[in-house]
Amino acid sequence: MKKEMIQATSAYERFIHWLLALSCLLLCLTGVGMMYHSLNVIGVVMGGLQGIKSVHNVTGVIFLVALLLAIQMWWKEAGIFVFPEDWEWTKAAGGYLWHVDKVPEVGKYNPGQKMFFLTVALCGLGMVATGLAMWFPFYFPMEIVRWMYPLHVLGFAVIFAFFFVHLYLGTIGSPGSLPAMLNGWVTRAWLRTQHPKWLKEMEETGSLVIRDDD
Amino acid sequence: MSEKMKVIDVSKCTGCRGCQLACKQWNQLPAKQTKNVGTYQNPPELQPNTWTLVRFQEIKKDDGSVKWTFRKEGCMHCTDAACVKVCPSGALHHTEFGTVGIAQEKCIGCKECMSACPFEVPRYDSEKNKVSKCDLCFSRVAENLPPACVKACPTGALSFGDKADMLPKAQKRVAQLGGDASLYGDGFVGGTHVAYVLQEKPEVYVKLPRNPQVPLSVIIWKDLLKPVALLGAGAVVGGALLHYLIHGPKRPVEITEDGKKEGGN
Amino acid sequence: MTNHWIDIANSDVILIMGSNPASNHPIAFKWITKAIERGATVICVDPRFTQSAAKAQIYAPLRSGTDIAFLGGMIKYILDHDLIQKDYVLNYTNASFLVNPALKLPGGNGGVFSGLAEGKYDKASWAYQTGPDGVIRKDSTLQDPNCVYQLLKKHYSRYNTDLVNKITGTPKEKLLEVYRVYASTCKPNRAGNSLYAMGWTQHTVGTQNIRAMSIIQLLLGNVGIAGGGIQAMRGESNVQGSTDYGLLYHILPGYLKAPTASMPTLKVYNEKITPTTKEAKSLNWWKNTPKYTASLLRAHYGKNATLDEAYSYLPKLDDGVNYSWLALFDAMHKGKFTGFFAWGMNPACSGANSNKVRAALGKLDWMVNVNLFDNETGSFWRGPGMDPDKIKTEVFMLPCASSVEKEGSISNSGRWMQWRYKAVNPPGEAKPDGEIITELYHKIKALYIRKGGALPEAITKLTWNYGPAGGFNVHAAAREINGFFLEEKTIEDPVKKEKKTFKPGDPVPAFAMLQDDGSTASGCWIYCNSYADKGNLAARRNNVDASGIGLYSEWAWSWPVNRRIIYNGASVDTTGKPFDPKRAVIKWNAATKKWEGDVPDGVGDPGAGRPPFIMKPDGVGSLFGPGLVDGPFPEHYEPLESPLKGNILSAQRVNPAITHFERSGVGTALDKIATASEEFPIIGCTYRVSEHWQTGVLTRWCPWLAEMQPGMFVEMSEELASEKGIAGGDKVIVKSARGEVEAVAIVTPRFKPFNINGQTVHEVGVPWHFGWITTAERKYNRGDKKAEVFTSGDAANLLTPTVGDANTMIPESKAFMVNIAKKGVI
Repeated sequence: MKKEMIQATSAYERFIHWLLALSCLLLCLTGVGMMYHSLNVIGVVMGGLQGIKSVHNVTGVIFLVALLLAIQMWWKEAGIFVFPEDWEWTKAAGGYLWHVDKVPEVGKYNPGQKMFFLTVALCGLGMVATGLAMWFPFYFPMEIVRWMYPLHVLGFAVIFAFFFVHLYLGTIGSPGSLPAMLNGWVTRAWLRTQHPKWLKEMEETGSLVIRDDD
Repeated sequence: MSEKMKVIDVSKCTGCRGCQLACKQWNQLPAKQTKNVGTYQNPPELQPNTWTLVRFQEIKKDDGSVKWTFRKEGCMHCTDAACVKVCPSGALHHTEFGTVGIAQEKCIGCKECMSACPFEVPRYDSEKNKVSKCDLCFSRVAENLPPACVKACPTGALSFGDKADMLPKAQKRVAQLGGDASLYGDGFVGGTHVAYVLQEKPEVYVKLPRNPQVPLSVIIWKDLLKPVALLGAGAVVGGALLHYLIHGPKRPVEITEDGKKEGGN
Repeated sequence: MTNHWIDIANSDVILIMGSNPASNHPIAFKWITKAIERGATVICVDPRFTQSAAKAQIYAPLRSGTDIAFLGGMIKYILDHDLIQKDYVLNYTNASFLVNPALKLPGGNGGVFSGLAEGKYDKASWAYQTGPDGVIRKDSTLQDPNCVYQLLKKHYSRYNTDLVNKITGTPKEKLLEVYRVYASTCKPNRAGNSLYAMGWTQHTVGTQNIRAMSIIQLLLGNVGIAGGGIQAMRGESNVQGSTDYGLLYHILPGYLKAPTASMPTLKVYNEKITPTTKEAKSLNWWKNTPKYTASLLRAHYGKNATLDEAYSYLPKLDDGVNYSWLALFDAMHKGKFTGFFAWGMNPACSGANSNKVRAALGKLDWMVNVNLFDNETGSFWRGPGMDPDKIKTEVFMLPCASSVEKEGSISNSGRWMQWRYKAVNPPGEAKPDGEIITELYHKIKALYIRKGGALPEAITKLTWNYGPAGGFNVHAAAREINGFFLEEKTIEDPVKKEKKTFKPGDPVPAFAMLQDDGSTASGCWIYCNSYADKGNLAARRNNVDASGIGLYSEWAWSWPVNRRIIYNGASVDTTGKPFDPKRAVIKWNAATKKWEGDVPDGVGDPGAGRPPFIMKPDGVGSLFGPGLVDGPFPEHYEPLESPLKGNILSAQRVNPAITHFERSGVGTALDKIATASEEFPIIGCTYRVSEHWQTGVLTRWCPWLAEMQPGMFVEMSEELASEKGIAGGDKVIVKSARGEVEAVAIVTPRFKPFNINGQTVHEVGVPWHFGWITTAERKYNRGDKKAEVFTSGDAANLLTPTVGDANTMIPESKAFMVNIAKKGVI
């Protein structure tokens, strides 16, 4: 059967996404590896805790770069809510949690994704800020540095939650999504289901890139 | 092993700084270039290579007279030690004597202990990427010897022994001194293993926290957020699983050539 | 010290004056602290609030150089309030002695005693009245106007509190508080102790400072008892040893007087230096002098020479010529000698008026610098302001071993001779001093044998039985110091009253058995008994205290004859009963008919009436001291450099008996003095810190110590600092008429301006440990040792004047005049 494939993401977009995703994942892993003594074993492959700390610090810098590029790339598309449709979608929880007959149509990014983006962007910056203060405590008053630790953990908790939901919805929670970030091509059906408005926009502007799969 | 305690009787300290030097000698801590900035106190603060120092402080009294106090500063070896609480690597640990030891080889230089310590004792050595502080001469105490500083003290301002013996002795000395004298170290952070017999009111001494405690931030982070984060992470993972099982994934709706919908829900 | 370190713990009142033990004798504070714990009161009198003052219950400031005024006021207070310990004063001092009625006291004689002519006293009018039998006339009622007690009263009647306050700047209520508390030790069961150091000695009236305190201690009955006495806390661990062994020019080992040209034979020498007395009951221990001189000569020359020949080999001082340190460097500066050994000393920094010393070193042909490290003396030719091309002096450096790199003994301030062992080998070519001297001796001896010269026998006939040639066995030296028999001799033990025969080579058990006939040798009679039949007693380490008062009699050994508290015969009354039974130093056991406790000093059997100060010909303590060159009673004089134009007390400004190097024809052009001058209006004082030792040759190279005290500082009051626009940490130039040093300002409330007779007088203080050789700024050649932690600044002695105490010539480094300014301002 012939399937009509539509290009949803560019190579650059996917590169930044994965840079951000993988650095974030690594930060989470190394972070908990330091945070919980029982998870110190994570450090074995990095040469122990000292290695974890170095990996965490270096990855943090990569994360910051990826985050800044991602914000620059996505903030217009995913950083601004459009009313009233985003509100409608939100009221229906995007049809993820209970049965909804007709999910309000959304564009390239649904409010859930926007929320995720904003959370990652803000918490990510927060993580970088608190992390740097922990890394270089001498430049800040100790009273301030002390509070960086709980804030860092709080940020971790929030990012991890969103990260995992994103992972779930990007894979088994929403089949057909993953290719968007793997090769960039999605089916018209998936696009119609997930981002009907965007599909229409692209159809109208003629920016649709289509490829027939044999 | 019994808990040990060092008592610093400020009333007997003459500021000779034998302790400061003995510490460097036993622990082989190098000297660094210093300069006089208008006081005898040098180095000015604790350093990675200075685990204890005598603070020289002049106090002008209302009647025009002067007092000069000498206070040996260093790790207080808390029972409820914030540094041990926050140390990710276990480098900072409680020893069999109740003191806080530091296994330098385990230290990863994360500096978390520096902000956690209410006495601002741990110091970071950027060359070695390690934090260091007084370990109350564990290597000596383990061999039944007093810490180097105590051994060097000529006047008896420093004394060392079982905590059970030292506390009453220190209290007795406080009573003997009378006036503004007080015992400092027993009433907070679960009790310290270094205590001061202070001659003046505690607030008179610079850099001596009036009410030291494990910082609230450390309690929130270690006692609250650490388990909560684990719980939260579990909840998210569990929630996703439940979602998959109960609600099922959201599949794209294929519109076949005959216009029928396939999939979706 | 009359007593010893541990004994300080027995004191009830401790007067810290002229010293700062918390900083400079830190271990002393172990015992001071113990005394405080027992309830003792510590008084600290010092121009600046020191670390010792911080631990004292009473602190009284006084202007540098006014100690006699302060103490004279105390003597007056004690006499006015009749706080003397009467039995003690009457029986154990010369209070009742009648003095020549011709004596004029300074009060009625323009500030000087009678007999002064051209800077020298004729002491005829200071003599005691004697009866036809030669015995001193006494008045036991103490009423005779010419008795010592009445003269004392009269002399110090001038030292009223108002006047003392005007001179010293000490607030009147502080004076009275100190007087009251210290005088409380007049009770037999209260012990007052005096701890002094260079703060008393380094004055033109240094000896009289200590005399003044001695008078107080005698009046209060504090000498000879536990917790009492006068403690000279020595400036080095073995200064006591160095004076005991005759390192000063005017004495031979064991405090025998150095012979002069007018004593051509041993007979004349013995006659001149052996004191005599007509006091029937006085033991006059120094009557044994000929035994000690004979034994010393035998230790030097053995049987290589007769005693008379041996005496003839001894160097003789020219009569009336001073060979003290200041005089030597003055002569060196005048080119009067060509070679010099700087052995374990650093005169380029330790010498008063160091610029003069440094210039003097350049007039030598050669200098040998024996030290652990290169120092400002060995490298003087490349120091600040020196042009190496113009200096002819050839310098040899002999590296020597430190105290832990050799075996031997040191004698501490408490007269304990303690044996020490070698811990590590000396590095490189460094050798123990004994080996260096031995090697020198053999080379010089060979030269004399080969080439002859003036009086070669003085060297060639010396015995040198310290092991094989080139080697040096310290035990052999220690045995020679103790002494041994050269001939078979049967002697009655003076204590046990039994006869014993000694063979040649046998050690002499105690100095009471030394002989004047040449049958015994002893290198230093006061150390006889230290290494005798019972072996090396200095090595004893028994820390059991049988006495209960901390004598620890079997720990090491103490001269003389292991006596721990000298003059202890004065701790019991004339019947032998201790004044303070709770702290008895000695007591008589009627059953065994023996003294118990410390080795008794000066006592015969109880009731025998023997006066206990047996080292004095008349057997009693000297309230009146006619032996000194500058007066029988201490009198206040201003320091040579003083902020005052005159002397508030009298018309005589300075000690009339001092040598004035600044006068034409005496010293050199570098001996400048600026007194009461507008250019130098601030009093300067030198002192030490805990972290450095002496001129810092040992300590400045130690990075740990340099880190704690990294350089020259000048301490000053907040008032002076604000007047001069100086803040703490600022670089300051301290300048005197003789030189200047750069220092960091320590602005502190611990210094306060003095109100001297209505005039505001400032005082500043500088430590004397620093020198240019360990600074970062100096020029380094390849191979020069660099300090790991640099120190800043040069020697404080660049500021101090060339003037010494009238009796001892110890330089006046504790009171001189300077000015200060922020660097860049002058």
